[in-house]
Amino acid sequence: MSPLEERYRFVLRLLPAAYRQKWEDDMVAAFLDSMDTGDPETTAYVTDYGRPTLSEVASIVSLAVRLRLGGADAPPRSYAWGQAVRLSTLMAMLAHAVMVTAGIAVTLWLSGKIAWLPAPALEWPLSPPSNIWHTAWNLAGYAWLPAYIALVLGHRRVAQAVALLAIVPPAITTAVEQAAGDVPLSLSPWAMRFIDVVLLLAMAAFHHGAPPVPRRPWLLALPIGIFLVPVPLFTIQATRPALRLLDWPGLSCAVVTVAMVVHLVGRVTNRSSRTLPWSLALTLLAVTALALRTATLPDYSNQAQRTTLTTIASVEVIAVLAVGVPLAVLAIRALRRLPPIPAVAPRPTTPT
Amino acid sequence: MTEPAFFILTALLDAPRHGYGVVAEVAELSHGRVQLKIGSLYGVLDRLVGDGLVELDREEAWQGRLRRYYRLTERGRHALDAEAQRLAANARLASTRLRERRDPIAGTPS
Repeated sequence: MSPLEERYRFVLRLLPAAYRQKWEDDMVAAFLDSMDTGDPETTAYVTDYGRPTLSEVASIVSLAVRLRLGGADAPPRSYAWGQAVRLSTLMAMLAHAVMVTAGIAVTLWLSGKIAWLPAPALEWPLSPPSNIWHTAWNLAGYAWLPAYIALVLGHRRVAQAVALLAIVPPAITTAVEQAAGDVPLSLSPWAMRFIDVVLLLAMAAFHHGAPPVPRRPWLLALPIGIFLVPVPLFTIQATRPALRLLDWPGLSCAVVTVAMVVHLVGRVTNRSSRTLPWSLALTLLAVTALALRTATLPDYSNQAQRTTLTTIASVEVIAVLAVGVPLAVLAIRALRRLPPIPAVAPRPTTPT
Repeated sequence: MTEPAFFILTALLDAPRHGYGVVAEVAELSHGRVQLKIGSLYGVLDRLVGDGLVELDREEAWQGRLRRYYRLTERGRHALDAEAQRLAANARLASTRLRERRDPIAGTPS
């Protein structure tokens, strides 16, 4: 086996085993044919030192995503994972969209423009953006809202491009500020940016073969989400300063825990196969919330209230684990009950 | 039917072809516009074989490798014919509209 063939076969390992069993040798032969330059000396050099081009690798990655996170015509396990990733991506995007929309309301409240709410506490003054970086940060975050709407409406690439706007400026701001020593070095913003990047990549699960997102419920979820989470949260925080200790990772843990409890209660009454993708999706979100909580814990060591904060964080972790582990076990059992991916995946008879 | 699927079926109309043969033929048919990557080709081919539009013709050893040749099935021929007629009807519709909207004196779109 030539080094080029070895490299190509290494990339092909991204594909599911059943698919490789069927197509791998064929794909390798076609790829090696495509690298044949016609000149034996050049071809020998390419065979020894060449690598699959970026576009070839991208086509394999794209195929792997489509096969592993399948659409409605995919084998049951692949479809379950596909729906799980799509649901968790939508939920995470919804959380971003809800929070940035609520963020606009909070800014108005802090500037005293919402008269019916109590005036903000003195220690929460509205600090205008001190420089262009902060302005960029504030504006960039709002991009999650159009990104979410674009994804729900089926414009995946637009959603990814817009989400990139929400990720890059804060990342640059954090890098510049931490490098200049304006803010202490901390993991928290990087952990959040990392999860945002994962979210951006996870949008690839909304490929052509994926079923369209039901628009009505997901668009309605936006105002409902705003009234269920940020509105009561900020209203309570305005009157009870102690509750301000709940940070974004903590809030993520709390919301995921509540969602898992509601889902587990729902599972008791509805045991249809449609609940499996939701169970898997919430398990994925629970893992993400736990990872975010754990990664942001070391930053508490510099805080004045570190003991209280660490205690709260521990409670959050325990709550997520207490509900998340049973849910994960149920989800994995249900997944194992599904027929394994067949060597020749069944396909519909409709033309592609 | 997606554009790559359409071109792959068209490439197999005259003769059975192996993987890279299909890639090369599609590039020629589309005057270089459609450059199929191997991952994209086999994504579509898997689906076409599953749908019964394409099937294995034969296997041949070539330079120590096994080449699999694929051919169009009767069902694939019908599907391609139906798609070609649909595209032609769409093109006729657009051409008629374009002709109707041409300026009758200058001969340019109004």
